[in-house]
Amino acid sequence: MDKLASLLHTSPAIAWMVAKLVIVFGGVFSLAALWTWVERRGAAMIQDRIGPNRAALFGKIKIIGLAQPLADGIKFFFKEDLVPNDANKGLFWLAPFLALVPALMGFAVIPFGRSFVSGGHEYHMALLDPGNGMGLLYPLAIGGMAVYGVLVAAWSSNNKWAILGGMRSSATMVSYEIGMSLAVVTIFMTAGGYDPSEVIKAQGHLPWAWNIVRQPLGFIVFFTCMFAETNRLPFDFAEGESEIVAGFNTEYGSMKFSLLALSEYCHLMTASALIATLYFGGWQVPFMQNPPVMLSVASFLVKMLFFAWVFVWIRWTLPRFRYDQLMHLGWKAMLPMSMVNLVFHAWRMSQGH
Amino acid sequence: MFITFALITLLGALGMLLQKNVVVAGLCMVAAFFGVAGLFVLLANPVAAALQIIVYTGAIMVLVLFVIMMLSSHQEESAAVSHPVQRWLSVALLAVLAFGAVKLVFASPGVKTLAVKGAAMPQAMTLQTVGTNLFADHLLGFEVAGLVLLAAMIGAVALTKRNL
Repeated sequence: MDKLASLLHTSPAIAWMVAKLVIVFGGVFSLAALWTWVERRGAAMIQDRIGPNRAALFGKIKIIGLAQPLADGIKFFFKEDLVPNDANKGLFWLAPFLALVPALMGFAVIPFGRSFVSGGHEYHMALLDPGNGMGLLYPLAIGGMAVYGVLVAAWSSNNKWAILGGMRSSATMVSYEIGMSLAVVTIFMTAGGYDPSEVIKAQGHLPWAWNIVRQPLGFIVFFTCMFAETNRLPFDFAEGESEIVAGFNTEYGSMKFSLLALSEYCHLMTASALIATLYFGGWQVPFMQNPPVMLSVASFLVKMLFFAWVFVWIRWTLPRFRYDQLMHLGWKAMLPMSMVNLVFHAWRMSQGH
Repeated sequence: MFITFALITLLGALGMLLQKNVVVAGLCMVAAFFGVAGLFVLLANPVAAALQIIVYTGAIMVLVLFVIMMLSSHQEESAAVSHPVQRWLSVALLAVLAFGAVKLVFASPGVKTLAVKGAAMPQAMTLQTVGTNLFADHLLGFEVAGLVLLAAMIGAVALTKRNL
């Protein structure tokens, strides 16, 4: 690391910061793009079809259609960029960015590997170093901002279907945030800290000491709420193709639509990373006290991508909920479960466990 | 950094006041609160920054939702007839309030700790410190606030649902 930094005429700290920026933002962004392909192939697999397999580099290299995201990107760039007449133009342009920026930022606090020491410096594998004081409040805060992207897109389109989608999705996000936050608070309590590195350390390397085993109820609540927060099926009320055309992005086309769609996949990545960090020991490798750095990164990636796949899997397995069922589930099932989880663990801690 | 966040805050607040469209004004308010959150981070209080974003911007979203539901929000509001007396009165009141606020800030002991540098600098606020302070030193205030919020919630339910 030192050598690399001196080659670039910077200090190791700055070089590492830049590298982390590229890894986190570039990584999440390209994984999100890749996941559009995984989603389509996965859907095809589940529905016994073939899915996109024709896109090829230079008309020759096909690799099971892996060039599809690239082709999609090019296509989106060359589509006509329509803005409806009665739309609020400024906000209509702003909305895709409002959706994308929180989606990308949420990942910043999550450690994607073990910290390592090189040349007398300690390097942390998270964009915001541990001890920044924001800890896991940060993804909660940024996740709450995500709803503005949807709401602004919906309102500025000046379209009835769009506003219906936006209203539904913001109501969902508001009501599921409470249950989710209470589940996370329980983890803060048992871990004795709210920094993701502390939460990971408290879970240790033994799989039966991970929070999934200790707090299965909290996991169910958090997992369900993540679906609501990312607007994915079975809770994709923002879009609901069969009911309200395409919901909040009805009026969007070309690259603006592409940004809205990508932000959903970025959310999916952040949500899977959060699930892996909070309930599955983050970068911890099962049965290994001090894993090598690369192995810890691989372990984190495997967990994260597994949950990203679960999101795809569930989307093509479960039908969409009805809106009242969703609210019923959120307020009458998730919130009480989350509270029971909190009180139970508080009681256990008071008993000295 | 301070200038950036201060500008975001002030421009957001100004935008909120001058904007004719209610929804856009709400979004300007979000920008202003973001600036305030940034200022909290600069003051070594990231917990307050996070809570500022979670609580306040979340609350504004509900506000914006109500505006969309209850008003025809795509029309810009026409300006009401202006009353010069009201205007001058408000300017005078604002001047008095601003003077009082600035005086209060400069008189507070917190200003002196801002000049401290090096090892004597206070530690950044953590959630643990907030919790300890809240439950050890300000327990009564905390409980009263909780009770008031509960009463407000029950009141809201009672008002909106006449026939329970």
